[in-house]
Amino acid sequence: MAKTILVVDDSLTMVMSLKTTLSLGGFQVETANNGQQAIDKLKGGFKPDLVLTDINMPVMGGLEMIGKVRALPGCRFFPILTLTTESEAAKRDEGRRLGATGWLVKPVSGNDLIKVIKQILPGA
Amino acid sequence: MMDRDLRLRRIRRRLLIQVAFGLLCNVLLFLVLSRFQEPPFIPDWMRIAGPLAVLNIMPLLIVERWNWTMGRRAVSDMRAFGQLNFDEVSRELAARKAVEADIKDCKPYIEVMHEQIGDSLAESEREVVVVIEQIDTLMGKTGKQREHIARSVKSAGELTENTQIRVENNKGVIAAIEMQLEAQTGEFRSNFERIQGLAADVCSLTPLIKVITTIAQQTSLLALNAEIEAAHAGSAGRGFAVVALEVRKLAVLSTQAAADIAAKINATCKRVDEEMSSAQASLEQHEASSAMSHLATDLGEMQLEFCKNSQLLLEVITEVDANYAESVTRLAEALGHIQFQDVMRQRMEHVQGALVEMRDHLLQLAERPDRPGWDGLFDTTFKTLLESHLNSYKMASQTVTHLAVAGGSSESDHSRPAIELF
Repeated sequence: MAKTILVVDDSLTMVMSLKTTLSLGGFQVETANNGQQAIDKLKGGFKPDLVLTDINMPVMGGLEMIGKVRALPGCRFFPILTLTTESEAAKRDEGRRLGATGWLVKPVSGNDLIKVIKQILPGA
Repeated sequence: MMDRDLRLRRIRRRLLIQVAFGLLCNVLLFLVLSRFQEPPFIPDWMRIAGPLAVLNIMPLLIVERWNWTMGRRAVSDMRAFGQLNFDEVSRELAARKAVEADIKDCKPYIEVMHEQIGDSLAESEREVVVVIEQIDTLMGKTGKQREHIARSVKSAGELTENTQIRVENNKGVIAAIEMQLEAQTGEFRSNFERIQGLAADVCSLTPLIKVITTIAQQTSLLALNAEIEAAHAGSAGRGFAVVALEVRKLAVLSTQAAADIAAKINATCKRVDEEMSSAQASLEQHEASSAMSHLATDLGEMQLEFCKNSQLLLEVITEVDANYAESVTRLAEALGHIQFQDVMRQRMEHVQGALVEMRDHLLQLAERPDRPGWDGLFDTTFKTLLESHLNSYKMASQTVTHLAVAGGSSESDHSRPAIELF
């Protein structure tokens, strides 16, 4: 069965390109435009196999979202990857402290992205 | 003008400090003298007045010297300003107003540029969305094609495998048929040759019948002559006449037997000829059946050809599948490059923010001199604004560009790899 990925990004082009790329890799994709929407989906019972999130977003940013998601029941252990233009070390360390699984700096090639996700999700 | 006022204020402040310091020194002197000596304390006062006066006067002299320099400069400035005639002052003021008005006009200028960048970003985003939609549509269609290709690869593989198995099986069957046909043909040919030899042997008896008939006829003629001679001999030849008669009867019987044998041999030869014709026909028919052998050979070759073509078909379909997989890989790469649009958007949004910042600062530059009581200092300057950008960049590329143009050093660390798993 195909693994499900929740893509969180405020950029329409990013959401669309990631959806197509991940579909090519054989994944099912659900999307949210900011951290709050993602939290709402998770609170509504949606259980993705992995979350791929941007950092700088309106309403609720990626770092805040990671902290809140990790505090939700049943959401402590699934992998959360960030895909962002932020490359600064301090932000990465903050992401790691809040519970991010990995940090990817845009742009990442579609094949590299699929390879990383398959590395994190064995059997995907 | 503002600079001059500032200087005058500073000179006034220092003069006040100087007076206050002198008064303080005198008060301290008075207090010291009054503590150690009852009035009148003229002798002591006389003793320490010299050094105290020097101590008092030295800082005053230093301050005065500094005030003198600054005062001269201020006076010089005032004189220079005072030497301006009305036209020159008017021109200075007009120039300042013009600069102020032009700086204020930066507002629409910068806002237009800001919007131009915003519109360009929106336009590029729209176009990128169209590109992604087209790629998505293409991927949807090619996805179905890939399913067909996958099925074709599978069925072509099975077909090739089955064909190879059948060809291998049929090879044995065809070889067995060919061997059997060849053996049968040899057997037919051998039988035919044996019958042919037998027929020749039988037919070779015909001349012997003629010899027997001739002997019988001559014997009959001899017997007749002997009978005639016996009759001439009279009673003496009566016995011989009986023998001659019996010999002639025997000759007649021999002739009849020879005729019967000849008839039977002829009949046998005829039947042998008929059998030979039949055998010849059968042999020819059997030899014609070697066409079956050719057919079987052709069939085998056709199967091999078909097998080869099936393999070729499989290779072609496999190559198409590989090309499709390559296309998918390249499309995934292309989709990755589309992320550049988002990177560019964020860089341009930063530039937009900087433009707004520049607009606000320029307006401040234009408006602040007219503000009453302004001390000539700005809260921010272009220099501080630029420095603040250096530590607020999200991307390494932004920092690199900044440092290449303006120099300096950044506290941000962008050296870690693009993909980092914790």
